[in-house]
Amino acid sequence: MNPSPVDTSGFGAYAGPVLRAESGDAFLFEIEARHLNGAERLHGGMMMALAAIVLGQVAKETARARTPDAEVKPLSLNCDFVSAGKKGDKVEGRADVTRATRTVLFISGELRVGTRILMTATGVYAIKGRDDK
Amino acid sequence: MSAGLPSPVSVAPPAGFVPSEIHDPFEAYMGPLFERTEADGSRLFAFIADARHVDETGAVHEGMLMTFADAFLGGAANRAAGGDCVTLSMQASFLTEARAGDVIECRTQIDRVTRAIIFVSGRFSVSGADVATATSLWKVLGAR
Repeated sequence: MNPSPVDTSGFGAYAGPVLRAESGDAFLFEIEARHLNGAERLHGGMMMALAAIVLGQVAKETARARTPDAEVKPLSLNCDFVSAGKKGDKVEGRADVTRATRTVLFISGELRVGTRILMTATGVYAIKGRDDK
Repeated sequence: MSAGLPSPVSVAPPAGFVPSEIHDPFEAYMGPLFERTEADGSRLFAFIADARHVDETGAVHEGMLMTFADAFLGGAANRAAGGDCVTLSMQASFLTEARAGDVIECRTQIDRVTRAIIFVSGRFSVSGADVATATSLWKVLGAR
């Protein structure tokens, strides 16, 4: 089975692609020319977007494991820029659930190139059932 | 003076705005972005959300809001530092959804300037109603 894309929304597909590794727990992203800043490093906005996609996907899967049609909405995202990425780097993203309540998910994750951390991130997500506003 | 990088789509600026001069390929790819100088000299920034910017529910993706925040809070940090800055940390809160077609405006505020670190916050609004807030820390390149 080949890696498959996640977050194929308008933004996710346009900014990505972000792939799910065959093993299932890592996300993969390769830095292309369009993802760079003027200093030829991975743009901070794209780095945060990648963290948002990785954490958001783990949040959605966690919510849907309990309620199949649940949606999640980001309430807060905190991103720390630990080191820079460059064109051609293969970025690996991972995220874990720190705590899940009935209505809120706490997610923590990181982006790495090899063993070097690019970004650490935490997010808080609201779980929306089908009948919620 | 360079005219900046072109964006892949052509979008008419919101009333009173002019296109921002973009030097980062990723900002050009997500843009165009716009800005306007207010009567009091403060700067107001904007983009018009389209199909490239939304999630699977049609709401503007938080990743796009953070890209916008990085572009414009970073611009404010650079001006405050008088040189280039890099992002150290950014936190955003998402108050309510924005949708495709919305004009999303951003106002920035410099909270503190030290020799090596700039503190910048921003508010994002649609038609005067806040949709997100952000706080950020920037490192002044070359300063210690």
